[in-house]
Amino acid sequence: MSETLRFVSDDLQLMALSFMAIVYMIRIRWLLGFKASRDRQAPSERKDTSSFKGIVYSWANIAMPWSMESTRRMFPFYLQFMVFHLAVAANITMSFVIPYAPGLMKPMIVVRLLQILFSAAVAIGCYRMYRRFSNPAMRLISTPDDFFSLALLTVWSFVSIFAAPNRPDLGEVPLMVYFIMTAFFLVYVPFSKISHYLYYPFTRFYFGRTMGYRGVYPVKRAAQPKPTHT
Amino acid sequence: MIPNARSHKAGKVVERMGKKLNRQLVGSLVGCVHCGMCTESCHYVLANPDDPTYAPAYKADQIRKIFKRNFDWTGKVFPWWVHAQDIRTDEDLEKLKDIVFGKCTNCRRCSLNCPMGVDFALLNRMARGLLVSVGVMPEGVAVVSKDQWEVGNQMGVLPQEYIETLEWLSDELEEEFKDPKARIPIDKMDAEIVYAINPREVKYDPRTISDAARIFYLAGENWTMPSEGWDMTNFGLFSGDDELGGAVALRVYDKVRELRGKTLVLSECGHGYRSTRCEGPNWSGKGVPFVIESSVLTMLRYIREGRIRVDKVKNKESYTFHDSCNNARSCGFFEEPRELLDLVVTDFREMYPNRAENYCCTGGGGAMSMSEYTPQRLKSAVIKADQLKATGAKAVVTSCHNCVDGLTDVIRHYKLGMKVTQLVNLTANAVIIPEKVSVPVFIPMPVEALPLQGFKILVVDDEPDILAFLSAVLEDQGATVIQAADGEQALALTIEEKPDLITLDLSMPGKNGGYVFEAIRNNPEIASTKVCIITGKPELRRLIYERPVAPPDGYLDKPVNEETLLTNIRMILEMKHPVGHA
Repeated sequence: MSETLRFVSDDLQLMALSFMAIVYMIRIRWLLGFKASRDRQAPSERKDTSSFKGIVYSWANIAMPWSMESTRRMFPFYLQFMVFHLAVAANITMSFVIPYAPGLMKPMIVVRLLQILFSAAVAIGCYRMYRRFSNPAMRLISTPDDFFSLALLTVWSFVSIFAAPNRPDLGEVPLMVYFIMTAFFLVYVPFSKISHYLYYPFTRFYFGRTMGYRGVYPVKRAAQPKPTHT
Repeated sequence: MIPNARSHKAGKVVERMGKKLNRQLVGSLVGCVHCGMCTESCHYVLANPDDPTYAPAYKADQIRKIFKRNFDWTGKVFPWWVHAQDIRTDEDLEKLKDIVFGKCTNCRRCSLNCPMGVDFALLNRMARGLLVSVGVMPEGVAVVSKDQWEVGNQMGVLPQEYIETLEWLSDELEEEFKDPKARIPIDKMDAEIVYAINPREVKYDPRTISDAARIFYLAGENWTMPSEGWDMTNFGLFSGDDELGGAVALRVYDKVRELRGKTLVLSECGHGYRSTRCEGPNWSGKGVPFVIESSVLTMLRYIREGRIRVDKVKNKESYTFHDSCNNARSCGFFEEPRELLDLVVTDFREMYPNRAENYCCTGGGGAMSMSEYTPQRLKSAVIKADQLKATGAKAVVTSCHNCVDGLTDVIRHYKLGMKVTQLVNLTANAVIIPEKVSVPVFIPMPVEALPLQGFKILVVDDEPDILAFLSAVLEDQGATVIQAADGEQALALTIEEKPDLITLDLSMPGKNGGYVFEAIRNNPEIASTKVCIITGKPELRRLIYERPVAPPDGYLDKPVNEETLLTNIRMILEMKHPVGHA
């Protein structure tokens, strides 16, 4: 391994991570600087729920596609979402594993599974890019940041396919590109929509707290019975 | 540079946005990832698939871009990258008005379907409030808000009109049951239930009041309706004006407190329920020391406790139920109406989707008062029309007066031939009239005497504003107030009414205060009447005290505040009744 690769896979990553952490801390402090409103009214008459249950339900919402009509109706889209986010999480994990625990990447099955996941993410990223351009509503609401963030993650996933084998002996370019992109990703994330995961706990916490307190969460519904054919 | 480029109104909107932001709002402003999952949850989008400007994320972005440009540094530094944009002209405000009032009913369906927990309805309401604060709003919103501020209810029902309606409804009820106790009690102290209604009931649908009264009577309830603070609706919810919201809610709460009611029962109105039960304490910043519940819950309890008996066969038609967005999606109130329906109708057919996932009646968010947006409202109502039609029911039941009007419009426009009714009507129709109704006699708790209770005070002043102010302050403390606007009237009333005290202005046309004062002191019949001079001309003090009669009992300079006035009045009256007034 060259010194340059060692630097980009280790020192550069740590610098980028530190930068990201600092910006995130500033961002959270900024958000907490706004006063949170509270619920002064009496709780709901519904006895089977509470603020606490509402918060838990709200946080877990994302893992319960049946809980929202949007995820029920667009289940394939939900699956794409899951795969794409799993790939991003795996990608971030890989950026730590390669320099600090390379042994974990030795079994070929791990490499192949990761490559399949990254390939799926690339396909999903391309489809989502197409959707943003072709769907009038999506095109209307998309900002340059939306396009760039999606493109960045898609290209990063593509690069990861070649970095996953972790074979600098066969050529350092894939790993070099991967780590440089990872560092850029870490630096760019706090300023982009990708940082939505930072806000997710807050938005979901407050929405769930109110909805639980008022008895809306957990959502109750009577599903439409399927037509019976005789 | 940016602030100078804005119109005055635009500048105020941005300034006030900064003051209005809280953590929930900021979370919703920064949390959107433009994933588009909310899009198909909106009935406007579903009914207008070719118009992407109805997408909830797009509508929210019109608010978000102002926030980003002014309060979020990414938008300040790279505005084009995140679509941050300032609001500058009055035309920009008008465009925003057409979006937040005309393209969204604040039904919260998209909020519930957002994976990120972004509350679009919260943002939309904030934007409405900001626009209203600078006078940019649909005319209907302005008119209704004005009525609620000034008259005390959103339909401008005058006190006399309200009381007269309750009186004739009482007469009918008494006639129906041949029982003098079968009346609507007004301002009864210590009642178990204080019943507040929607002014629409007085104006267009008094049958809902008499149906509720019939149920309360048959249940033997100790109930009352307030003479003031009876409007439980709140246009502050629709206009986004928290100040109006808080003031209206307090009006209702204060009256219940004054009557020492145990439970405030709200007639069937979705936004009224949400405003009074759920949002009012937050807007007014005060908790409420009594229970607030929907009349649906009250009726259900009566049946469960056997206080009224019902026969569901009396409601034989097929019924479906429409969940009001405010009840179901913002207050979790959706099971109780179904439980009650199950008890009072024979054929109930569920609507799909339902409960918190139901579609808006399309008349929500104050849309019924914004006639300029009626065509787009009715076009978007095709979703609701399809939903109603699919149930195959002959009638739709809803626990919301706004939805009654909204659904009636939808049914008429799409020629569905359905009836719209409410649970109170069905329950009243299903109720079994017992041979004998026993109305318990409740002995009110002894009323704590107000400080000036039992005192008769004559207020004399030629300025109507001052006359009204002094009278209101003294009446609030329990005094019986008589008014006189000139010297002659004051003298006549003093002789006729023999007040305990006179507050006397000096400068009045005709017989001035000095003359009146001397005449009182010179008449042995009324000479001992306490007099408190209240004048805007302190230089006249010497002239009063130099008169060859006993001096006045008190002397105050205008302007006089409430505290000073009461302190002096009590002091003067205690001199007359040193051991307190019985």
